[in-house]
Amino acid sequence: MAELERKDIQGIVVSAYKHLPCAAYVLLRVSNPAATRQWIADRLPEIMASEAKHESRSVNLAFTYTGLQSLALKQDALDGFSFPFQEGMDAEYRSKLLGDTNENAPAGWDWGAGANPVDILLLIFGRDEKTVDAELQKQQAAFATGGLAIVKILRAGRQPNTKEHFGFADGIGQPVMEGTGNKQRQLERTHHATELPVGEFLLGHPNVYGVIAPSPAVKPEEDPQQLLAVIPPDATGLNAEAGMHDFGRNGSYLVFRQLAQRVSAFWNFLDKASCKADGTSDPAARDRLGAKFVGRWKSGAPLVLSPDRDDPKLGNENNFTYFDKDPHGVACPIGSHIRRSNPRDSLGPDAPTALKSANRHRILRRGRSYGHHLENPLVDDGAERGLHFICLNSDLERQFEFVQQTWINNPVFSGLYEEVDPLVGDIAKGNKLFTVQSEPLRQTVQNLSRFVVVKGGAYFFLPSFRALNYLAKLK
Amino acid sequence: MTHTVLTFVTKVKPDQAASLGKLLDQIGTNPETNAYVPFRSLNRLHFGSFVLHQSPDYGPYLVFENNFDGVLEDYLGDLYTLAANGLHQIYSCCLDYSVTSATDRQGMLSYLTAHVVRPNAYHVGNTGRCAERISQERDLRATLEQQADSLVRRGKATTAQGVLTALQQFVRSDPRFSWVMSPAGPRETSEQIFAAWSKLILVGVLAVVLLPLWLFPAIILVLVLRYKESTDSVQADSADSDKVTSLLETENHTASVQNHMASITIVKPGWLRRSTLWLVLWAVNLLARARATHGELSGIPSIHFAHWSMIDNGRRLLFLSNFDGSWENYLDDFIDKASDGLTGVWSNTINFPRTYFLIFGGATDGPRFKAVARDSQTVTNVWYSAYRELSVQGIDNSSSVREDLMNAADAATAQALLRRL
Repeated sequence: MAELERKDIQGIVVSAYKHLPCAAYVLLRVSNPAATRQWIADRLPEIMASEAKHESRSVNLAFTYTGLQSLALKQDALDGFSFPFQEGMDAEYRSKLLGDTNENAPAGWDWGAGANPVDILLLIFGRDEKTVDAELQKQQAAFATGGLAIVKILRAGRQPNTKEHFGFADGIGQPVMEGTGNKQRQLERTHHATELPVGEFLLGHPNVYGVIAPSPAVKPEEDPQQLLAVIPPDATGLNAEAGMHDFGRNGSYLVFRQLAQRVSAFWNFLDKASCKADGTSDPAARDRLGAKFVGRWKSGAPLVLSPDRDDPKLGNENNFTYFDKDPHGVACPIGSHIRRSNPRDSLGPDAPTALKSANRHRILRRGRSYGHHLENPLVDDGAERGLHFICLNSDLERQFEFVQQTWINNPVFSGLYEEVDPLVGDIAKGNKLFTVQSEPLRQTVQNLSRFVVVKGGAYFFLPSFRALNYLAKLK
Repeated sequence: MTHTVLTFVTKVKPDQAASLGKLLDQIGTNPETNAYVPFRSLNRLHFGSFVLHQSPDYGPYLVFENNFDGVLEDYLGDLYTLAANGLHQIYSCCLDYSVTSATDRQGMLSYLTAHVVRPNAYHVGNTGRCAERISQERDLRATLEQQADSLVRRGKATTAQGVLTALQQFVRSDPRFSWVMSPAGPRETSEQIFAAWSKLILVGVLAVVLLPLWLFPAIILVLVLRYKESTDSVQADSADSDKVTSLLETENHTASVQNHMASITIVKPGWLRRSTLWLVLWAVNLLARARATHGELSGIPSIHFAHWSMIDNGRRLLFLSNFDGSWENYLDDFIDKASDGLTGVWSNTINFPRTYFLIFGGATDGPRFKAVARDSQTVTNVWYSAYRELSVQGIDNSSSVREDLMNAADAATAQALLRRL
């Protein structure tokens, strides 16, 4: 495999910026395309590439379809993007498959749909709030001259630990991209690593099928300065026309969803569902039921390896499978969140086939929690908190949307009936049910409500440096 | 119990295609109880669909898909009794339909019979389970789940055998479930199993015995095929976006866990491709009858009914499928688990991704394969499922519960049964 062109790839692709725990996501709308192109040109030296690591901050830049359209990227290049990206996350039939119905419907979103469209996403990461504030201030100063209006500034702050708001360790299982050198690190941290081809996350490279997926390209005359890479004569990929200039190469689709978490509703529900016969709380049973929902204990210890109690020693452990170890879900329920969002080898017909198949639907997660930690998870403080879910993939339909539709929101996932992911699923699709497999008899948890609500979202494209430069020089 | 899987394929009068489309779309808004073809009343039917397909070369076609229990004769009787007027109105838009009144029973039935297309190959997920049984067992399972909840709530779920005994007592005492006492009967008769396997074995033996006769011609043909497949043109572009949009608009009904796929592809020109396709489908069917009788087709667990039919004298291939989950998942399952069989079939149709020796390559070019699949797909105007909230696995599971429920059990078998709840 050829070396990664690190200078051409934005930094967030290879790094989750764990050393930069604070972030601001600025959602922008283009009002003056010419000014915005100049603004992009001015940003180029500031944007972090994959080759280096800045110790205090990092800036990355992504665009929606309407953003690229308003910057006057040619229509034939725009047509080369994947359908979901062209249509946007809020298209009606996408809502059906993503589970964005009822309370989650785009009509109620704070941003990304109808009334509040977004063109550009500026991602700012910093080692502390002060650094982010300073960078944000500096960036904001350039918006007016850059022909940009702020739609929304979303903050993601440092959490007291690495846990998401429901209180569970997050971000343990994560595939790694070939060529990044992340495999070793992942193995050391979690004792497991699934290494996937570059083309699973970046356009213009062979994917898990060994082919190069369609990538937006422009005609040679649209790129007289040869800013973009030329598609070689032996290219065989779909839509790959030799001699065209590849706008998509080394870029990635970035999914952004603002997911508000109803922390106290979640824990109060668990409290009630796990209370003793006399109606009093049973904190141990409550935590246990919470772990059954998630598939890991609060520390992150997987239920498959530690079915009966939390074991912080296993907090980062990711070396486990289901097919042999827990085929019936007695340890980790079939419908639990981690088993749905990555079924590993559990879906059959045999373990190797199932694992191979599941690994064709992986995403690189880059999300962060936002809002303040709720001190007492049983008492609501009225504040909004949640997860700014961000993920990267090269094929929205086969990766992000597949996970969402076929695993998370599928009422008949893995032989179940009428239930969806108890944590993040589209509750309207199931029967508000969650089954906890156990012996001699399973238990069911009923009347679930929506614990996670979508507040906004959009599909972005995270271009390569060449493509950014090309955008800056468009006329 | 046997299933019948077939379609009625008719040519539509070109000037009537638009109005027929409107009528079908109207039926499509309420397939269960519409006034034309009230599918819910057809109690032998598992899945049914109407597809109006337009093609510049062949003109408009109407495909009426039926997957039902028992034999055609009985089903046609039901159709006439329940939908004579609606069908008369629909088929009045078709060529060579000369029936003048819906009261002409004989005329309508002979028209339909004359347009029956039996598939070259088909697959049934829950072989031998009739529609009535599937819905009975769904109700049984739902009731057992409630009983199980009640046992858990009352702290009575202490041993597997104890729980099973309680469930058995409940079922015995409830007259609604008297049918559970009588055995479900085998999914296939031993004659059917014997016939399917003996045919498969006979073909294998004959192939070996006659090897000297066919080997040399076969090598020549494979070489010709190899040359053809290296020069056949393949899909160049992504699927048509308007087409994909119109398909997505009809897919993923909120109240259903299933989807429908209808596609008509053009077979590559020449007798070699036509014969190859015929032979591959024949082999697929031979294998499916003998081996794919317990839910999975080549490791794919999510297909209720699927059929492949060569139409227009083998010049086009009609494919219809009723499956669980998303289109994306269905196609990926095909790529991941049955790429060779699928490539063996569709590589004989135009635009398919580059193949090697008929079954290699092809579908493994995921993006291109999906683009061809979307382009060849056609919008389903009317789609009916008798049990849209059930998966193949779910039906199988409920049936297994019923089959084992009343048997005396030791601790291990009792536990195995309770795992199914």
